[in-house]
Amino acid sequence: MMDAIALQGLTKNYGSLTAVDHISFNVEEGEVFGFLGPNGAGKTTTIRMLVGLTTPSDGSATVAGYDIIGDIVEVKRRVGVVPEASNLYDELSVWDNLLFTSRLYHVPKDELPGRVRNLLETFKLHERRDTKFGKLSKGLKRRVVIAAALVHNPRIVFMDEPTSGLDVVSAMSLRRLIRDLRMEDITVFLTTHYIEEADQLADRVAIIVEGKIIVVDTPESIKQSFRGEPVLEAHLSRIPDNSMIRELEPAGRVELRGDMVRIEVESLTEAIESLSRMVSQRGIQITDVNTHHPSLEEAFVAVTGVSPELMRIEKEGRR
Amino acid sequence: MRRSRLARELKVAWAIAAKDMKIYYLRTPSLMFGILFPFSMFLSFVIGRNMPISRAIPVLVAQTVFFAASTIGPVSIPMERRLQTFDRFLSAPVSLLTVLLGKTIAGFIYGVGISLIPVVLGLSIFNSQITDLVALSLGVALSAFGFAAMGIMFASLPGQGPGQVMMPLNFVRIPLLFVSGVYVPVKDLPSWGQMASAASPLTHTIELVRLGLGGESFFEPAVNVMILAVYAVVFLLAGMRFHISNQKRE
Repeated sequence: MMDAIALQGLTKNYGSLTAVDHISFNVEEGEVFGFLGPNGAGKTTTIRMLVGLTTPSDGSATVAGYDIIGDIVEVKRRVGVVPEASNLYDELSVWDNLLFTSRLYHVPKDELPGRVRNLLETFKLHERRDTKFGKLSKGLKRRVVIAAALVHNPRIVFMDEPTSGLDVVSAMSLRRLIRDLRMEDITVFLTTHYIEEADQLADRVAIIVEGKIIVVDTPESIKQSFRGEPVLEAHLSRIPDNSMIRELEPAGRVELRGDMVRIEVESLTEAIESLSRMVSQRGIQITDVNTHHPSLEEAFVAVTGVSPELMRIEKEGRR
Repeated sequence: MRRSRLARELKVAWAIAAKDMKIYYLRTPSLMFGILFPFSMFLSFVIGRNMPISRAIPVLVAQTVFFAASTIGPVSIPMERRLQTFDRFLSAPVSLLTVLLGKTIAGFIYGVGISLIPVVLGLSIFNSQITDLVALSLGVALSAFGFAAMGIMFASLPGQGPGQVMMPLNFVRIPLLFVSGVYVPVKDLPSWGQMASAASPLTHTIELVRLGLGGESFFEPAVNVMILAVYAVVFLLAGMRFHISNQKRE
């Protein structure tokens, strides 16, 4: 199977700042590839180079088999781009925006209305076809932007933070759309700062920090390689105090999250015994308990040293 | 193959122009700098003067085509950069020349359309007469295209809003009014003024419009047409060059 996207030593410098530092990896056809990293890591700059919005300083890359420097027009014909900003025209209706985008991508005139109509049906936008883009909610705007990226039937779609700033329901709906694209064997290159989103959607993930690739692998392998210890999480009928936490600490690293006690343990048996002893001595009930291996979020923190929560706050602050 | 590619690019340029016409023609900066400005300057020039209307109408036509045509690009491009809709063009398989051509066409149509107002007023109310339709048409059309391209060229200046482009543009547009035979006919200027005037594209606009509406031209009409055509090409190519330099910096 040919690589949909292949990067070799791709680099971008802005003066003395190296935003993307000789990165190399491949994306297979039909996979959803997650590109994760803290703010300013180089994710958007990488996408901008791959879709021809900015020229690389060094290195090379091919997209759909075409060189991004020598054959960029061929690349642009074959890719769809969903940027972070919902950059369609507020003054035009949904229909007019999709029609205009179709014309930019040389969609044949006789196919135009049919394609746009199909997209409106697929993305459940038919009832809003005459609504001005500026009047739509954030979630609907994102749907229109994704529809616009698919108007010319690309086999590769670049998505830069597609669910950023959306409410839970809209984000879930968009993730479902991304899964549907995967079912059609469309390659999706996705940047996100929602780690769990990458975990749910991506076949493979690359983590980039300060312009350098740290790891490229499946989410499961990344989780396994960074920490082996399982985690025990227990919801209690009473929030434990410091003395209770000190009592649990011999079992592993203890963290309190609201009414939940979280212990990264070496031995589940010991941890369960410590917890049972503690709660029975104090007359506390365990209302819920579960165990799991470290999440992608925890692996991300281990790799980058950056808290995903801090990333989210910085992102929202920049909006 | 080449002909079909050219046809495709022209279709895209037209789609961009049509979109710009819908979105930007009635925007406040377009109305202010494209219509209010030239009409106000014209009124401030003629009120209180004993100027024959035959001399005033060509001035108004030339001013409106100059300001109107060169306003749309500086309104649309900075706005599109700020809202990141300009990135849509850059990530689509269309050449930058096509994009800039589309925006130039939008400015051209605005310039021609607005300048028709004083022509119609002159013909219907002030007994103006079109004595040379070719000269008038070429003067307005070439000027509208050239000045639209000039606006596009200025729009390559980095800046987030139309105001930041309009300032340097007006720094050029307003002085040009005074060296271009608009307020003082070229034949009445001193010899150094006539030389400066010959280099200004607006001079050749007013000359052809005056010729078209029953007046005289200081320069040969063929010279006027040639210089306007050269300026149109120079502005379009310079605009493209500056926009490419901007892109390389990003």
